[in-house]
Amino acid sequence: MSGQGRTSPPTGRGAKGPPGQWTLAWRRLRRNRTAMTALGIFFAILLLCYPGASLYSRHIAHHGPDFQNIQGKIEVNGKPTPIVRYDGTPIGPGLRSEYPLGADANGRDLLLRVLYGGRASIMIGITSALICTLFGLLLALPAGFFGGAADGTIRWLLDLIWSFPVYLLAVALATALVVGGADIGPIHIESSSLLIPILVIAVVYIPYIARPIRGEVLALRRTEFVEAAISHGTRSTRVMFSEILPNVLPTAVVLFTLIVATNILIEAGLSFLGVGVPLLTPSWGNIIQQGYTQMVTAPWLTLAPGIAIVLTAVSLNVFGDGLRDALDPHARHRARFSTDPRGAVAETEVEAT
Amino acid sequence: MRSKVMVFPALLGILVIGLLAGCGGSSSSSGGGGGDEGTPVDGGILRAAINDNPDHIDPALSYTSEGWQILEATNNGLLSLKKASGAEGNKVVPDIAEALPKISDDGKTYTFKVRRGVKFSPPVNRDVKPSDFKFSIERLFRVNSGGLAFYKGIVGADEYAKTRKGGISGIIADDKKGTITFKLTEADGTFPMFMAIPFAYALPKGTPDKDISSVPDARVATGPYMVTSYTPKQKLQLRRNPSFKEWTDQSPNGHLDGIDIAIGVDPDAAVNMTVNGDLDWYFTAVPPARLTQLKAQYGDQVNDYQRNNITYFFMNERKAPFDDLRVRQAVNYATDRDALVKIFGGQGEPTENIVPPPLKPAYKKHEYYPYDLAKAKQLIKQAGVEGTDVSVWTRNQEPFPKATQYMASVLNQIGLNATVRVLDQSIYDDTISNQKTDPQIGINDWSQDYPEAGNFIDTLLNGNNIVSIGNNNQANADVPALNAQIEKANRMPLGDARDRMWAELDSEYMKQNAPLVPFLNASYPKFNGPNLRGLVFNPTYFELFPSMWLEK
Amino acid sequence: MIIFLAKRIVGLVAVLFAVSVITFIIFNVIPGGDPALRMAGRHPTKQAIANINKDWGFDQPLYKQYLAMMDHLFVKRDLISYQDQTEVLPTIARGIPRTLSLAIGAAALWLLFGIAMGVASGLNQGGWTDRVMTILAMTGISMPIFWLGAVLLYLITFKYRELPVLSWFPAGGYSPISDPVEWVRHLILPWITLSIVSIGFYARVVRNSLLETSSADYVRTATAMGLSRRRVLFRHTLRTSLIPVVALFGLDFGAAVGGLVILVEPIFGLQGVGQYAQSSVAHLDLPPLMALTLYGAFFVVVFNAVVDIAYAWLDPRTRDA
Repeated sequence: MSGQGRTSPPTGRGAKGPPGQWTLAWRRLRRNRTAMTALGIFFAILLLCYPGASLYSRHIAHHGPDFQNIQGKIEVNGKPTPIVRYDGTPIGPGLRSEYPLGADANGRDLLLRVLYGGRASIMIGITSALICTLFGLLLALPAGFFGGAADGTIRWLLDLIWSFPVYLLAVALATALVVGGADIGPIHIESSSLLIPILVIAVVYIPYIARPIRGEVLALRRTEFVEAAISHGTRSTRVMFSEILPNVLPTAVVLFTLIVATNILIEAGLSFLGVGVPLLTPSWGNIIQQGYTQMVTAPWLTLAPGIAIVLTAVSLNVFGDGLRDALDPHARHRARFSTDPRGAVAETEVEAT
Repeated sequence: MRSKVMVFPALLGILVIGLLAGCGGSSSSSGGGGGDEGTPVDGGILRAAINDNPDHIDPALSYTSEGWQILEATNNGLLSLKKASGAEGNKVVPDIAEALPKISDDGKTYTFKVRRGVKFSPPVNRDVKPSDFKFSIERLFRVNSGGLAFYKGIVGADEYAKTRKGGISGIIADDKKGTITFKLTEADGTFPMFMAIPFAYALPKGTPDKDISSVPDARVATGPYMVTSYTPKQKLQLRRNPSFKEWTDQSPNGHLDGIDIAIGVDPDAAVNMTVNGDLDWYFTAVPPARLTQLKAQYGDQVNDYQRNNITYFFMNERKAPFDDLRVRQAVNYATDRDALVKIFGGQGEPTENIVPPPLKPAYKKHEYYPYDLAKAKQLIKQAGVEGTDVSVWTRNQEPFPKATQYMASVLNQIGLNATVRVLDQSIYDDTISNQKTDPQIGINDWSQDYPEAGNFIDTLLNGNNIVSIGNNNQANADVPALNAQIEKANRMPLGDARDRMWAELDSEYMKQNAPLVPFLNASYPKFNGPNLRGLVFNPTYFELFPSMWLEK
Repeated sequence: MIIFLAKRIVGLVAVLFAVSVITFIIFNVIPGGDPALRMAGRHPTKQAIANINKDWGFDQPLYKQYLAMMDHLFVKRDLISYQDQTEVLPTIARGIPRTLSLAIGAAALWLLFGIAMGVASGLNQGGWTDRVMTILAMTGISMPIFWLGAVLLYLITFKYRELPVLSWFPAGGYSPISDPVEWVRHLILPWITLSIVSIGFYARVVRNSLLETSSADYVRTATAMGLSRRRVLFRHTLRTSLIPVVALFGLDFGAAVGGLVILVEPIFGLQGVGQYAQSSVAHLDLPPLMALTLYGAFFVVVFNAVVDIAYAWLDPRTRDA
């Protein structure tokens, strides 16, 4: 059962959370070489995408990721070679300062696009995971805490999102929003805004966060210290946020890490289906989407961004795995938060009910 | 007509990138495929494939090149486009009518004499009568055909569209005399074209007022073949029509015994299957990325056809900054059409004309806008619109988004501030042709409904055709003097004089109005098996099944 | 138990109802999604659009249109597509054997390899086998499925086509099970594509579960009592540690049949339910989409419920939840 490792009263009071627990976790995490390597790789990717992209653009490529040069030529082995051939096949990768990863059909530098594309992909991954985790927590806390009708309704809602074919939902929402944008209350979202893919992805994955956390809350609710707080007449919202929230935060953090990876994959899938990131902003997904039709003549257009995605997702998944072990030492090998958030769902569906 | 929309371009294209052209050996040495040399041999079943269901196998409803290609082999109209390739194939000739129609002096009455002895296939098995044609045109209105706009000029058609009862008064069929007469509300020289496209094909009186694609007994043929079975998403089968007897060389008996069409084979897989020898023929063009290699290795099996179509950017004359002629001209100057042709895989020729070249003499090449970035920048400065925000619209079907990104970079270069808006291809046409959407500039292509320049100039640019939804004049071009010219040309009979007027209008529009940035006449490269012979590409019906034969 | 079952069934019906309503609403508010406009062709007249709206009932209030669609789908069973006016249900019925062929084969692969890798990893915890397996598993989990399919096809049927083994793979398509060899030949690449993500995932779950179980008291007791390591492994550890796999499998199989096939089938031209869904999305064709969404949701929800019921049966304490 999820709470069994923490039946003792929490060490901290208030929303700050128990500092001791986090410090300990960090120490354990630092000893996990695999996880630290993964974290290192992720930071390296971040460095490449953020300062790296601008530096490369300014000092080596001397143009931006959107610079198109369909009719131009560059020197290859002393011979002027067209960047894009008469039949639309772009120049391939090679050891040179211009177009080292090759060009795309619009005569753009693929390396630059992959670097800048990482910004959008990672940003979408992180932002949508944040929103998703936030909403997941907001749904899971009352569901687990109050139980009964609140729980029933929220669980049903999660079932609904869960059973709706993901891509169909995403495609439908994105298609609906892309013409006129969206008006949510006073906020107007431009149709070209990155917020559209972010929101779509966030909504679709709420159950992945909410279900396992609801299970934990349910278990915590029955523990002595929570019962005690309630019997002392503490307001339920206060109990929820100051007693229960700090205890489910570790799980939320782990799930967050894993879902960032998942969301980067989903961004790619959505862009691939043509409903993701608006075209002029490069993202790994839309670079693949624009390149795959030329798979036979220019496979680098598909391979380069794909490998970037896999590398990022692997580093996040491995790190998330290590983080889980570090935060949950009592269940060091438990499959509860297995590598993929799906596992967590299955398990708590079973365990926490 | 619309060439069948590619399904989910995103997914579609990847499909089976298989290829095996790499291990194919030296089939190019086999004395020539695809040509029409040698004496045709009868017999054999053509192994064909198609990407998805043809839209309909009902002449009243089908509005795709795939559907028309099948219907050409199974059904006939009063008239036909000549079953020949190239410019010759754009001519109207009699089919079930004995001769071209008699046209009254005011150009408003068309009388046809219907040939006797043309039979419907089983289970109907009787001669085609004039009243069948009347029935078939009226049926268009009862089944909500996409083509009924072509027939709204017949007297009483508007009324019939509302009531759908009692028949169209302007169609008079006399089964005894064997004649059928069409009365038009206004003179319209285009009318014979309307009688030659599949919407006007004969179906026997009594055909149900619903899509007959999946109703075997109602899929009655007059041509050499008939659809004997159709399993959606799986297969489609054509066999010889036992009642068919050749009546002119325009209705040849086919060589093949039948055609088996596998449904659900995407273009890339089709290339691989053809190379493997598992497929003789595929409905649509070779994917651009495969063409260079196929041409090199299997040159004899690749045919590059010219279609009557044009790809262009439209500029909305009702929206700033494109309400200024100088801006529209600037964009025309700033567009390097050769670069755009590259984006389209080199498949086609750059153009600045609105009318496509195969429609000569209505096509007369003009060059008002050689690539000139400096001049474009200067025009933008003169117009005082530097820094204006512009959205360039595109459908998500490759390579349109790439071409649109190119256009955005061009607009940015000349001093505008451009972004790209991508719409799913399924909603793109309906969205941009809606005045409520009111796009500033966008990419589109137009393939002919019938092979006549009016289908381009009149449809795309006549200001009198501007409507609020389903607007094909997306540039909202509205020049009263030119509108009048168009209307005049429309009334003239088909022929050289009329074609010269279209050529003149093409030139005038680009020179004094520049509503579009035409840039490409896309070619239509096809790849077929080594044993397939007798390929004839008609710009309206595409490759004709009855001409094909398989070398033993 | 009966009450529990009844609750689940009511929940299932409610979810399906909501899914159908949401699908219906989404496709009715998509700008440019008006089916009448698309049916009216390239030169639509006002009258034609009005006639289509009347004939197809698009002029009716939304709730009536919804009810009519449900009536055609469930009662009359004669729902037809807007796009090509073919019947939806027979087309789905013809697609199901293909989709099941894909999903069942892939499931067999991912169970087999997932468990094998997980066990190999768990038994050698910390060793190099464990590390290699972990890296493989993590990489599998981190791959976009559509990308994997495209790259596999490119490498196997194009780039390295000359290799004798690889030339055996076809370019795509489906072959009925009546010829088992051809059936396998046509499905093996799709199976691999669909299963790789799950293989990695199951390998991780089995590994972790195995480690957890082997540290459990009773296993340690059994080992202390002198039972052979192999015996303990197969009798106790493995059996217990595979329980989460049962739960996961139900959910994943449901998700695969109900959703993931949309990404895999079109790549390989299998013409199953997934490809039908993909082509219907491409045409914004509501009737098949409605049927297919319900079909997908049904599988997901049913397998969800089956897992719960199986557990409820195993553990009566969960029934009242």
